[in-house]
Amino acid sequence: MSVAAALLLSAGIAAQRLLGMFVLGQSLEQRPVLRRLVELIPPGIIAAVIAQLTLARGRGLGVDARLAGLAVAALLLWRGKPLAVVVVGAAVVTAALRAAGVR
Amino acid sequence: MDRIVPEPRRADLAALALAFVAVGVSVSVAVTEIGTPNWLTLVVAVTAYSATGELAFVATVASGGSVAAATVSGWLVSMRFGLLTGSLGSRFPASRAERALAAFTAVDPSVALALVHHDPHALRRTYWRTTVVLFAGFALGSVVGVVLGNVVGDPRSWGLDAVFPASLLAVIWRFLERRDAAVAAAVAVIVCLVLFSRTPGGVPIIAALVGPVVALAVPARSWRPARP
Repeated sequence: MSVAAALLLSAGIAAQRLLGMFVLGQSLEQRPVLRRLVELIPPGIIAAVIAQLTLARGRGLGVDARLAGLAVAALLLWRGKPLAVVVVGAAVVTAALRAAGVR
Repeated sequence: MDRIVPEPRRADLAALALAFVAVGVSVSVAVTEIGTPNWLTLVVAVTAYSATGELAFVATVASGGSVAAATVSGWLVSMRFGLLTGSLGSRFPASRAERALAAFTAVDPSVALALVHHDPHALRRTYWRTTVVLFAGFALGSVVGVVLGNVVGDPRSWGLDAVFPASLLAVIWRFLERRDAAVAAAVAVIVCLVLFSRTPGGVPIIAALVGPVVALAVPARSWRPARP
């Protein structure tokens, strides 16, 4: 990442945050459907990011040890385990599979 | 309509801080891997303050995309921050300067935990308490990651590339207790994966907005019957 890219990336992200704070606020309060949409966007988009981070390989998709790590994380969350356990569990399982020769 | 933002549990803040440290490590290791100088890795961690934005950038570059496409991907993935600060917007009782700083540091968990409060002053207090802890965690993790990135060799052999999706899953896990949120997530995932190898970097994530739109038709209720 170059200095120019870092600056542009940061500026664009900051601009969106500020726009939301100072411009979007009012319109949301006045329109309940819009407000509900806003509530649904974070779980939706983050789920898509999770899928991409887990399954993207180069320009295509590929199943590998990351999926096992995510599955373990899901299981631990289902069982109500704390975040640290979930995160470490995912890393350990993924690393172990890789050590055993899985991609 | 059931509340979308779950009640935070006692240990949540400490656990979130730890997760942010872990995320800081994995992000700065990833950014170092694509050839970023150490000082810049640390600076961008703080100025962008978007793990998903940085990872989208790295993922695009790693899959052969241009720097321009990578930057746009980072912006697109971070669009939700505008929506998060929009949710906070008029409820945050402070000067413009403080609200700007609050906007600059907004991330999913800090906004989610603050929005639990109906009282604006409790909201503000919770927001800053959470933000300081998470920001410090991420910054600390970034420093550790820069050190590790030069020492650890392949971060994949440590399972570090599984840490970020796992911690994101933990962030949205309790949101998924509400039917419409779960449908939004499921449809978003399908759309994103179907489009992934067919469209340029950053597009699948934005197209995934179809999920939340479709989910408006689903009742905003929990899967379980009403809780006590």
